[in-house]
Amino acid sequence: MIIAPEIHIKATGLTKSVKVADGSLTILHDISLLINRGESVAIVGASGSGKSTLLSLLAGLDVPSQGEVFLAEYPLHLLSEDERAGVRAAHVGFVFQSFLLLPSLTALENITLPAELAGIKDAKARGLILLQQVGLAERADFFPAQLSGGEQQRVAIARAFITKPDVLFADEPSANLDAATGLKIEDLLFKLNAEQGTTLVLVTHNNDLAARCQRQYKMQAGRFIETDMQGSQHVG
Amino acid sequence: MLAKIAWRLFWRELRRGELWVIAFALFLAVGSVVSLSGITTGVKSALMQRSAQFSAADSVLRSSQPFDQAIFAQAENLKVQTARQMQFDSMLFAADIMQLVTIKAVDNSYPLRGELLLKRASRIAEGKTVSLNKGDVYLEMRLFDLLKLSVGDQIELGMAKLTVGGVIANEPDAPLSVFGGAPRVLMHIDDVAATQIVQPGSRITYRYLFAGNATNLAKFESAIAPQLSSHQRWQKLDNESAIGSALERAERFLLLAGLLGIILAACAAAVAATRYSQRNTQAVAVIKALGATTQQVRLLYGSHLFLVILFSLVTGVIAGQLAIDAAHWGIKYYLNDYHAEFSWRPLWLGCLTGVICALLFAARPMWRLASTAAIDVLKQPSLSLGFDVVQWVVGAAAIWALMWLFSGELVLSIGLFVICAVFAAVLMVFAAVLVKFVKPVAAGQSSARKLAMANLRRRLWANSFQLITFSLAIFLALSLYFLRSELIEQWQKQIPVGAPNHFLVNITEAQRDTLNSFAKQHQLKLGQYYPVVRGRLTAINNEQVQQEVTKDDRSAQRVGIGRELNLTWLSDLPQNNELTIGHWFAVQAKAEVSVEAEVAQRLAIKLGDTLAFSIGGQELSANVSSIRKVDWNSLQPNFYMILSPDLLANFPATYINAFYLAPEQSVLLNQLVRLLPTVTVISVDSIIAQVNSIIGQVTIALSFILLIIGLAAALVLVAQVQATLEQREQELAILRTLGARYIFLRNALVLEFVFLGAMAGLFATILAEIMLFVLQQRVFNLPFNLHYNLWWIGPMLGVVLVTALGWWQLKRLLRIPSAQLIRRVLQG
Ligand SMILES: Nc1ncnc2c1ncn2[C@@H]1O[C@H](COP(=O)(O)OP(=O)(O)OP(=O)(O)O)[C@@H](O)[C@H]1O
Ligand SMILES: [Mg+2]
Repeated sequence: MIIAPEIHIKATGLTKSVKVADGSLTILHDISLLINRGESVAIVGASGSGKSTLLSLLAGLDVPSQGEVFLAEYPLHLLSEDERAGVRAAHVGFVFQSFLLLPSLTALENITLPAELAGIKDAKARGLILLQQVGLAERADFFPAQLSGGEQQRVAIARAFITKPDVLFADEPSANLDAATGLKIEDLLFKLNAEQGTTLVLVTHNNDLAARCQRQYKMQAGRFIETDMQGSQHVG
Repeated sequence: MLAKIAWRLFWRELRRGELWVIAFALFLAVGSVVSLSGITTGVKSALMQRSAQFSAADSVLRSSQPFDQAIFAQAENLKVQTARQMQFDSMLFAADIMQLVTIKAVDNSYPLRGELLLKRASRIAEGKTVSLNKGDVYLEMRLFDLLKLSVGDQIELGMAKLTVGGVIANEPDAPLSVFGGAPRVLMHIDDVAATQIVQPGSRITYRYLFAGNATNLAKFESAIAPQLSSHQRWQKLDNESAIGSALERAERFLLLAGLLGIILAACAAAVAATRYSQRNTQAVAVIKALGATTQQVRLLYGSHLFLVILFSLVTGVIAGQLAIDAAHWGIKYYLNDYHAEFSWRPLWLGCLTGVICALLFAARPMWRLASTAAIDVLKQPSLSLGFDVVQWVVGAAAIWALMWLFSGELVLSIGLFVICAVFAAVLMVFAAVLVKFVKPVAAGQSSARKLAMANLRRRLWANSFQLITFSLAIFLALSLYFLRSELIEQWQKQIPVGAPNHFLVNITEAQRDTLNSFAKQHQLKLGQYYPVVRGRLTAINNEQVQQEVTKDDRSAQRVGIGRELNLTWLSDLPQNNELTIGHWFAVQAKAEVSVEAEVAQRLAIKLGDTLAFSIGGQELSANVSSIRKVDWNSLQPNFYMILSPDLLANFPATYINAFYLAPEQSVLLNQLVRLLPTVTVISVDSIIAQVNSIIGQVTIALSFILLIIGLAAALVLVAQVQATLEQREQELAILRTLGARYIFLRNALVLEFVFLGAMAGLFATILAEIMLFVLQQRVFNLPFNLHYNLWWIGPMLGVVLVTALGWWQLKRLLRIPSAQLIRRVLQG
């Protein structure tokens, strides 16, 4: 199946069920969406509504129980774990809700890790620039345990950018930050989105942040409740 | 690039201390295998060297055929020293008296080990030391009295006339058995031809003595193996002697200790490996989410494992070798002429063990670790030990393979393995059952106790593995300790303090009164008088047996059942004898005989058979009414045949008696010999001293090995507690946040370990008791008795050990300020 070049992410009928003690639980119900290249999209919704789960499917961290998901030309739902890893390494940046920095690596080393995995040569130089951009130049050799929550989050964001990904998934990127820092981080995200044409998919509770995105998807109990008209037109 | 990440992560992990646990576990495995196998070999070779002195050579080939020069030539080629020895019984004529003697003819190289001491006198304590001369014979001291000889007299042996050269003061390979038959005579092997005693069909034992370093000897033994005939066989250490059986038990014990060391090391490795993979699950998920493939992750963590293995092998081998050197040094202290030999075997055995442990115990969790899915980043990492069937099966197979490799004994390794496996299974069931009933007990307790119980139950339920390893470690240490004391006690029992060390043989009826009053006068405690009549077994159920009885020259030489037997009659069963079949003589018993079990088996004598004896030309027959087991290790007069009193009472008998003589009373001996010149005094002081010195050495070896095992057990416990650190950190952080106070948390922690320790100790005790029972019955042939001490020492040890180790490792956690702890858990 070939998707149009301007479409970056296409999901059709995504359903995710997980096994629990007594049978199975469906977390996502028949989700469909279309995201264009260079677009910025916000996914909002109550806690436990399935936002992180959806993000993990779109980024290829996991596969859906049913439905299809395409990232550019890659049919993520058909790829193996390692093939998806390859796609992630080359195209995807991810900011986790709980940062997930490796405790045994310094801030700088955490940032350069994906670049080194992808075999990028100037990883360290890039990392230092990014540290500067997120305002942590002085913290380069700090370990995650020595950083505050906000600082860790900024390291996580810098890490997501180091491979110059085509698409960036960010799960609550500014949740732990004060207003000023949060704003700076958001500016950074949108700047990259604008400069490098990076597609931006954000999960947030912050209405201001959501409003800065070109489109919004609202989730409730594993479903989109009221989607942006533009988005629903694409899914046809 | 990947190498850079791997290297960086490796150093950081080292700094965090996580990899050290694995390294240490492997180090322990390697080090303990190297040292155990090295020290076991060392102790064994020390004991062998010691016992070589008792057989005058490192190894002895015995043959009933004349010497084969080819064998000597081959020995020479392989740099193995040789000596020749012939032994036969013959009549010795001195003037007009004759006496059956055992002749040993040796060459000038004899002995290759130990010391031969000949004195130019008729008494051991007198005269100057001489060396073996052609044309001379040297006599056992009692022969001088028996034959009324003195130094320089002529004697006749076969067709040869020889001169009495002196007395045998020390003969390294003299038979240990006290009542070894005929008096002994030593002569030069070159004089044998002149006696013309060696005729076709005459019963002569030829002994090839060999000595040299172990490698050359082994080469030599395998080189000549194909050309040995059925007449030739290696003379092995005799386990009928006290020394032989002490050696054999010691060897088994050391072997066993080695196996247990491996089990503990394997446990430590498995715990550390599981912990390693657990701690890295989330990191792997993150790395994968960032785009790493499974292959890359495998390389990453594989390189860590490689570095750890390398480090552990090198340090483990070095430490193990140092321990071996220390042990050699210690053995030398007790055994002056001990020469230690360096051997590669412990080193490669250790390395192999390390690699196998690492690959089979660590590689499997690592393999699973690398297949962690990227999506797991979204899951709360589970900190409980997951149950992995494959890991268990592979691990179990690995343990068994190691045990086999290490011991080289298929049956023993399977047996021990099965026992351990069954124990582990039983424990798991126990733990599961316990979880069910701990709940109601906990209800209504103080809150600290409630928390302790809740923790315990949750952990127990999550994995009974911890309890199993605790129990197993304590159990191994316990059973080893008890086994060791038991063995030592058994050995010492054989030669209790004050046991008779002088035996009097050939006491005539008339001399009994003189002896009794002599003993009374000097306050010597005489034992029982054993009457002795010399006779032959001629037939079993009318079938002539002489051929059969004399065929086994080992017994003939060893205990004197050959041509003539020491027959006795007794109305009571001797103390160190035990009836296996039949009944002891009734008061009115007529013509009955009680036969020693081994002889009975060898000659196929059954209860009810009729045995015919020839005594001084007279024939008599007796019905076998019982079969007896005799403790040959005891230095007591032992008899193959005991006849009912009615049969022998009328034959002229001589008597045997024994008494204990303290070293400072030795003057009495000379007085006694002068008083009763025809009575032979046999001193077993030197035998007792030899046995005691061996027991001493073995005891030291056992203590050392027990120490190693104890350390290994403690380290398994440490590894095990450390494996729960993260989980505990998290719980503590949460409880602190919820407002729990230090005292409360401390009490809960201590209570948890006290209870866990008590349970582990109790399980260990039960298992140890069963294990000891099996071992005593099957392996060591010791009588079984309940170990009452075990039942309080076991649980106590469990409580003290587990609580102390737990507290020692976890008290730091409690002291960490709440803020720091919470930060560490939530962010690091
Ligand atoms: N592996 C799983 N097993 C069982 N339930 C799961 C699993 N993963 C997610 N869930 C459930 O699915 C629901 C959606 O989870 P998800 O993390 O996607 O929510 P969310 O919208 O990101 O919430 P939040 O805003 O709090 O981060 C939750 O109720 C969660 O409990
Ligand atoms: Mg979420």
